[in-house]
Amino acid sequence: MQGPSGKLQLLFERIDWPLLLIVGTLGGLGVLNLYSAASATGGFALHTRQAIWFLTGLGLVGLVALVDYRVIARWAYIIFGAVVFLLVAVLLVGTELNGSKRWLNFGFFMMQPSELLKVAVIIVTARFFHDQDRSEPYGLFQLAKPLGIVGFGVFFVLIQPDLGTSLVILAIFGTMALFEGVRWQTILAVVLAGLVSLPFVWSFGLKEYQKDRVISFLNLDDDEYGKSWQVRQSIIAFGSGRMWGKGHVEGTQIQKGFVPEHENDFVAANWAEEHGFAGMLFLLGVYMALLLWSLRISSAARDRFGAHVGVGVAALIFWHVVVNLGMVTGMLPVVGLTLPLLSYGGSSLLTMMLALGLLLNVSMRRKPLMA
Amino acid sequence: MAGSSHIPKRRQGGGIDNYRGRYIWLIAGFAFAFLCIIARLWYLQIIRGDEFYRSSSENIIRDIELRAPRGRILDRNGRVLAENRPSFDIYVLPHIFRKHDTDKTLDLLQRYLHLSEGEVERIAQRAKANASEVLVRRDATRAQVAALETDKMRLPGVEVRANSHRHYPLNHVGAHAIGFLAEAGQSELERLEAYGYSPGDYIGRMGLERAFEEVLRGSPGIDRQVVDAHGIPQGEAQTRFLIGDYKEVKPVPGRDLVTTLDADLMESIDQAMRKYPSGAVVAMDPRDGSVLALYSKPSINPNSWTGRLSSLEKMRTDNDPFKPMLDKTVSAYFPGSIYKTVSSAAALEEGLMSTDSEVTCYGAYKFGGRRFRCWKWGGHGHVDVVEALKGSCDVYYYQVADQLGIDTLAEYGYEFGFGEKTGLPINYESAGRVPTKEWHRKHSPEGFQYGFALNTVIGQGDTLVTPLQAAVSYAAIANGGKLYYPKLVRDIRSAGGDTLFEFASKVRRRLDIEDETLETIKRGLEAVVQEDGGTAYSKRLDNVKVAGKTGTAQVHSIGAVRVANRDKEFQLRDHAWFASYAPSDNPEIVVVVFLEHAGHGGSEAAPVAMKVLEEYFDKDDELSMNTMPNTTNDSIGSEAQ
Repeated sequence: MQGPSGKLQLLFERIDWPLLLIVGTLGGLGVLNLYSAASATGGFALHTRQAIWFLTGLGLVGLVALVDYRVIARWAYIIFGAVVFLLVAVLLVGTELNGSKRWLNFGFFMMQPSELLKVAVIIVTARFFHDQDRSEPYGLFQLAKPLGIVGFGVFFVLIQPDLGTSLVILAIFGTMALFEGVRWQTILAVVLAGLVSLPFVWSFGLKEYQKDRVISFLNLDDDEYGKSWQVRQSIIAFGSGRMWGKGHVEGTQIQKGFVPEHENDFVAANWAEEHGFAGMLFLLGVYMALLLWSLRISSAARDRFGAHVGVGVAALIFWHVVVNLGMVTGMLPVVGLTLPLLSYGGSSLLTMMLALGLLLNVSMRRKPLMA
Repeated sequence: MAGSSHIPKRRQGGGIDNYRGRYIWLIAGFAFAFLCIIARLWYLQIIRGDEFYRSSSENIIRDIELRAPRGRILDRNGRVLAENRPSFDIYVLPHIFRKHDTDKTLDLLQRYLHLSEGEVERIAQRAKANASEVLVRRDATRAQVAALETDKMRLPGVEVRANSHRHYPLNHVGAHAIGFLAEAGQSELERLEAYGYSPGDYIGRMGLERAFEEVLRGSPGIDRQVVDAHGIPQGEAQTRFLIGDYKEVKPVPGRDLVTTLDADLMESIDQAMRKYPSGAVVAMDPRDGSVLALYSKPSINPNSWTGRLSSLEKMRTDNDPFKPMLDKTVSAYFPGSIYKTVSSAAALEEGLMSTDSEVTCYGAYKFGGRRFRCWKWGGHGHVDVVEALKGSCDVYYYQVADQLGIDTLAEYGYEFGFGEKTGLPINYESAGRVPTKEWHRKHSPEGFQYGFALNTVIGQGDTLVTPLQAAVSYAAIANGGKLYYPKLVRDIRSAGGDTLFEFASKVRRRLDIEDETLETIKRGLEAVVQEDGGTAYSKRLDNVKVAGKTGTAQVHSIGAVRVANRDKEFQLRDHAWFASYAPSDNPEIVVVVFLEHAGHGGSEAAPVAMKVLEEYFDKDDELSMNTMPNTTNDSIGSEAQ
């Protein structure tokens, strides 16, 4: 056994540079894009703050990467329990904004525990499947237990209420479960149950504003100044970028304030308007590279936990990207999901960095550290 | 820390190797979703990109119409008849207005501008209905504008714009000739949209404003502003950068109209007409057919008719029995004795009478068992044509008519321009009527009767003339036979003052009448005023010799007007006429006065004309004194005193 310093040196040698390059590229694009978006808001140095968050996030990646992921795996249920505890704390002492109680106020930082739950679910699900070590596909009965655990956490997010986060967490779990293997009868049953429960969810499960979003999504051209205004202006921003875009800081849709939340959930509209179809292809290419690299890390992992973490992180990024772009281009109803590493905001960015730290962790430990 | 025992070791069974194929599925799933997004992006950015690019441009561009200033209307001396003055108009811009608390804004507007509930309702409706802008109040007071400007922050989407408003310095004087403006109606707009009219635009009504709409109106310009999502303009530099040369289209101002009218003369006519409720005065230069004055009474004040007309004013106008909207200068009335010029010409030209032929008037003329009376009970005794005109002897003309017949008379009526329009470019002038046998067969209940000619010859019967026609015909007599088209507009000038078009005087025809005949008639007309026994002798002027003819037209309205007795008396009173020109030896102005139901031409109409002429020539003297200081005018002046 070598000393700690030798181990650190080895670790350093195993840093996954391609992963960091991809992450750095996205983070850089994010800051660049926010520079343009910030000049729309005027004077407020959003991009500077984002850059600081990003660098902080990189530190977090390093920190997470240092602790062997198997330690994390061991503590999986504890971590999950702690996050659920925070979610309960949100319900009790959380800060309410716009009718939702999602934040814990730490004075210097508003924390959103539901974001942490995304990572905690990846960890706990990976741990669960690692422990099961089955070769046959899962049936509904076998899935009940992990679903129950995850569902327990999601329940607190759902009552905040935060439908978007709840759905994306379920989607991450679903992706990991499918990856582990689920009987086709079970898949069919879940799909059917979903379809059957849809009217009930509509009647009892959704808040009015959520229904409004879906309705406005279904008839987009109904009311120019009404609820679909935001999506409509976002679509105009996308379309008006045409092939090559209007150029950096020259997108009139964003610069003239036609797209609300252009620094947050609708940040892609800015990118698309100023850099066009070509810019979007490039952006999607970088995301695809990140996804493929995650799967590569997953497939090279030394154990099932590592493999599942890789898939889980990929799923987290995938669903965020797809749902976000789907909603800002008018293909999906508006649910509040950020575009990973590009949207402004500490919680979202740090969550992604946490997940990427796990990924780096797995990547660096694909072989035993001792030669 | 031991590297191998952090988590329970996996048992043999499903190894990582089992996952291999599942990565393919995952990658396939990811790729499929990405392809969907790319397809959507392709659709939005490539297929519909240009369309959305236009949308994004339209988003930031707001076109503000720059209304072109309307051309002025001037009189012959450059006095303004119609001009523009600034007015502050209040607009609501719905695209901003709708995004804020509309109720609160409307509430404030209502308080500041004293809007009625109905107006508030209308504004709310139009703001909802996607109008690009809604006019709230035209010509707001300075206090109102100040209040709005002060409270700007609480009035999102409310805008004050300085537009120009039409102003008519003469007020009601000559309003029929000058006209006024009103907002174009919905159906009009549909027709005029192609010519650049837009909602809220004014359009000429009545008179010159209407007839010369295309000349007076300029073409609007456009000011393009780059605005943000709140409609706030983004400043000159940004605007130039984003839309460059397309920033603005300058409005083309309308052209000025220089008329032949004389504002001073029209004002003195107004003074002279003070005691008469209803009538018309036309003044004309017989030398070139220029119309110097068109005056119709009662009138409207075009200043209150332009823009928002109060319903009270409208009601008052509609219910006025003297019909203020009717231009009486071009409406047809019974001419009475002023028509005797036509009859005299017919008698002389047809060889029926010579200048010296005399007729004896005993106060009546027997025709077909009926007695046609002269207005003078005792009769005129022996009269020749000059005497007949001077004393307005009816019997002389009965004899003429008896022998000529109605159709020959009609020929001369037409010759002098009666029975057809004079060609005045404004308002809907009446052609009047010169009755013939044919006309009577068609229109008289009893068909044609020979006696009709005896009524026609003295301007009674069914003859109708307009004051303008009378002026044109008397001008022809005064100038020795040239029947002019009345000329109302002298030239059209650009806003910069360049003459763009000059209207020539146009002679419609030379009267086919011997000079000697005209001279004889002129002598008769001069005698009317200048000789003792003339019907207007007592009204003659000191400073200028006037020639003219009085007319008292009986109103044949048997059964036609059934009104209350008190009114009936008035409605059945005679029309008073006086058609004149001066100076009689070298005519430079024709004045025709028509007073509706005022009584006798000699006692009522002649003094009006005389007052107008007196002032006109007084002013002329003043002018020549001012311009020619070294003449002998001083001595003339002292002589007069």
